[in-house]
Amino acid sequence: MAISYNTNSFLCITVLLLLVPINHSLNSDDLVSELTILRARSTTGVIHLSNILLIRMLSVPVPRPFTLLVFFDSQKLHSDSEISLPTLKNEFLILASSFHANNPANNKKLFFFEIEFQESRASFALFGVKSLPHGCLVSPFATDFERDSIQMESSDFSRHAESMAEFVEAKSKHTVGPIHRPGFISKKQKMSIIELALILSLFLLKKIISGNTLLHNKNTWMVGSIFVYFFSVSGTMYNIINKIPIAMVDTDDPGKLVYFYDGSGMQLGAEGFTIGFLYTILRLLLAFVTHVLVHEKNRNIQRLVMFLAIFVSFWAVKKVFYLYYWKLGFGHIYG
Amino acid sequence: MEKATDLFSLKSLKLKTKQQELLLRISILGLVYILAFITRLFSVLRYESMIHEFDPYFNYRTTLYLTQKGFYDFWNWFDSESWYPLGRIIGGTLYPGLMVTAAFIYWTLRFLRFAVHIREVCVLTAPFFASNTTLVAYFFGKELWDSGAGLVAAALIAICPGYISRSVAGSYDNEGVAIFALLLTFYLFVKAVKTGSLAWSLASAFGYFYMVSAWGGYVFIINLIPLYVLVLLVVGRYSMRLYVAYNCMYILGMLLAMQIRFVGFQHVQSGEHMAAMGVFFLMQVFYFLDWLKHLLNDQKLFQAFLRITLTCAISVGAIALGVGTASGYISPWTGRFYSLLDPTYAKDHIPIIASVSEHQPTAWSSFMFDFHILLILFPAGLYFCFKRLSDATIFIVMYGLTSMYFAGVMVRLILVATPAVCLISAIAVSATIKNLSQLVRTKAKPTQGGSGKGTTSTKASSKGALDRSLPYQRNGAIALLVGAFYLLTRYAIHCTWVTSEAYSSPSIVLAARGAHGNRVIFDDYREAYYWLRQNTPQDAKVMSWWDYGYQITAMGNRTVIVDNNTWNNTHIATVGRAMSSYEDEAYEIMRSLDVDYVLVVFGGVTGYSSDDINKFLWMVRIGGGVFPVIKEPDYLVNGEYRVDKGAAPKMLNCLMYKLSYYRFGELTTEYGQPPGYDRARGVEIGNKDIKLEYLEEAFTTSNWIVRIYKVKPPKNRW
Repeated sequence: MAISYNTNSFLCITVLLLLVPINHSLNSDDLVSELTILRARSTTGVIHLSNILLIRMLSVPVPRPFTLLVFFDSQKLHSDSEISLPTLKNEFLILASSFHANNPANNKKLFFFEIEFQESRASFALFGVKSLPHGCLVSPFATDFERDSIQMESSDFSRHAESMAEFVEAKSKHTVGPIHRPGFISKKQKMSIIELALILSLFLLKKIISGNTLLHNKNTWMVGSIFVYFFSVSGTMYNIINKIPIAMVDTDDPGKLVYFYDGSGMQLGAEGFTIGFLYTILRLLLAFVTHVLVHEKNRNIQRLVMFLAIFVSFWAVKKVFYLYYWKLGFGHIYG
Repeated sequence: MEKATDLFSLKSLKLKTKQQELLLRISILGLVYILAFITRLFSVLRYESMIHEFDPYFNYRTTLYLTQKGFYDFWNWFDSESWYPLGRIIGGTLYPGLMVTAAFIYWTLRFLRFAVHIREVCVLTAPFFASNTTLVAYFFGKELWDSGAGLVAAALIAICPGYISRSVAGSYDNEGVAIFALLLTFYLFVKAVKTGSLAWSLASAFGYFYMVSAWGGYVFIINLIPLYVLVLLVVGRYSMRLYVAYNCMYILGMLLAMQIRFVGFQHVQSGEHMAAMGVFFLMQVFYFLDWLKHLLNDQKLFQAFLRITLTCAISVGAIALGVGTASGYISPWTGRFYSLLDPTYAKDHIPIIASVSEHQPTAWSSFMFDFHILLILFPAGLYFCFKRLSDATIFIVMYGLTSMYFAGVMVRLILVATPAVCLISAIAVSATIKNLSQLVRTKAKPTQGGSGKGTTSTKASSKGALDRSLPYQRNGAIALLVGAFYLLTRYAIHCTWVTSEAYSSPSIVLAARGAHGNRVIFDDYREAYYWLRQNTPQDAKVMSWWDYGYQITAMGNRTVIVDNNTWNNTHIATVGRAMSSYEDEAYEIMRSLDVDYVLVVFGGVTGYSSDDINKFLWMVRIGGGVFPVIKEPDYLVNGEYRVDKGAAPKMLNCLMYKLSYYRFGELTTEYGQPPGYDRARGVEIGNKDIKLEYLEEAFTTSNWIVRIYKVKPPKNRW
């Protein structure tokens, strides 16, 4: 995914570069201790890299006492499912935390950074980043970040944290060690949990058999069936499995969002929900008319609500079919 | 006296309407039966009487073998012509129900001196069983609601696109008979639960046996029925009838199912069948406790006993399950089953399942396409079912909801949901129309004297609706009736249109619209397979992607390396690896597999989009899953799959690319485009100068859809 700069950012860098020597002339030890503090402050162990911090690192004489691993992020592109930035960022965080967990003594040699496009365009330009996802390793000897940094290839991203770790180990002398995924339940644990649940469920069953619980109530089952129905016909499984966003940006007009996808092979999240909602209206109206409305004493109100219900149902059915024909593009067959 | 004659005349009239009703019912059912058959004949009329798609070719080939060599040879058949050099034990790795059914029909026809070809029998098996399904649907609907609902259900299922998609003439596949068997089993089981009779449960066990012999989808039955029993237990509907029905059906069904070699002892060994067994034991415990309660009058003593037995039973069960799983006696769930419960599983872990288009999750438009107004009627039907809860309606609600969920996970399971959706919608249609027509007729009754049309039974003159009738009631009811009929007509139009346009193409003969709107037929597949049959040595081995394996063996009569029975992932991955390697590396693999010919499918000339280049990424993924030397990113440019100048270098030089685009650079496919313009992907190809070193072109069909290459023998001089 390509990203665009404005020309101002280049000006910005030059200004920053000019300013740096005046502002700071700090030695490398100070920087390392400052970075350690910054890292301790961050909950994830990854330091948020700003333009100023980067420039200061540049000002330290080579060889720097540490290696940088930078992940380039852009909030704006998080919604793009194709490049899946959030997943990669998460993997990067896992990589960082695994590194810190495995190398508590050696962790002043390699620092993990993430950098946001919106606030640090200048730094992006400094690294020469043209497209995302992008990550790079900066060795202690690098003077020009664009030229000397080692870029992560797409194959290094492909198997997530594991392949990123391989990249780090191959391109620098640091070892990352095994990747620790948080909250990961092993298969054995899962099985034992399931078994426990089964045993518990049997005790519950005993209670159910004896008493008049929620499960004996018809309405619980009805609500459940509405839910299953809504869930299925709106194609929610499709959205979950293929990780489809609710809406996507119009390719012709970036300012506009597309909620309905024209073409039968694909659907967007909003679309499924709309359809499911239209179907459900019908059902709820039916329940309302047959169960609530009959208790109403006033005939006129009854009549009015009834007409309203018929009208809304008619509208909902009409709308569903309209959308369906539009989506499949064969409206002309039925007219 | 006057009253008495009145009563008498009414009585005789009633009898008469009943007869009329019976006549009408039978004739409607007969018409539906015929309709279900003829609506599936579009493909025969439009093309010719032939077998469709991929899997049916295997079924056809085995049926042919069965009718020629007899049942025992078929049962013991070791097929050395597929999965070279491994071979395949056919008898032990297929569901024989379909083949035996077709062979049985064939022998019966022969016995009656009808000289038919086995191919015609195979082509028409699915429509014939679809007709039978309508009968079962009628009886099921009658059991659930009334005969009106049964008739509507039969009519709905006869033309429902969700079912037609797998049962048009020529679609000679397991599902064709399996849906009949599925619905029959369910119907018989519901009947058994209702009556508590051993005969019905025995019948349902045999229905289940037929289902097991026909389709792997029987797993749905063996899980739904226990679930249903469990729900009945939970909501306090346990009865002796249920006990008899379930136990008889489970034990007999299990024993019968074990006779199918492909299923074998899975009923006691595989995790997918454990739910049924658990519920079976639970029922015994339930019955035992019931009996004890009857014996022990002391409540306190019984409570203590209950606690001890329950704890013991549960812990024994849990330990047995745990030990069985740990020791490997009970096999864990298969990937396909697991992916139904956790739908994201297949996408991440099993590319060979995820690669098949019919295993994709369902978008809402596909639901609409296959069910149309039934989707809107379905909730209304559910409402009626909930309103009149019985053991039968609980069953259909559960069947409807579970299958609806599964249909959301996998497109092909819409098929399983179709009968349930039709039945539930039929209840909605029937109940609504009945109520409305009763409203219409209450006013008319004094004048017309009850000489109704007879489609709806004339019992109970609508519960005193007369005295509380609203103004406009009759007109409103008429309007709603007209609306309902309008919707149903729309449904019929939609179904016919979908059948004729979408579901009746054989996919082995391709049709396209020409520039002047005329129909152009591409018969390249058969051209290629007949070429193989007539121009290659008898023992030639053909390598192709697995999609075409069944067709090559059935029509080309040549040995293949892999086919659609994807039982050996490594073997398929080897072929995937060969296709995605450079020519010299691929040559080594092909030599090791004794490959003589390589067959690729190419749509660049005709614009046929499901060709091998478009399937290629799956070959890479499946190959890479076993051989890590194959890496998907090597074939992509910035995550994008391209074949033009900007394509990845590995892509431009891999075997699949070379074989697909060999000599294509010289060809002008479209006016105004440079030579080598790929019409399927709409780009000019990136490598026009392809030289083959280890293979030579043997045959290319008239529209270039199938291309066959001969593997050169190794050089004997250097």
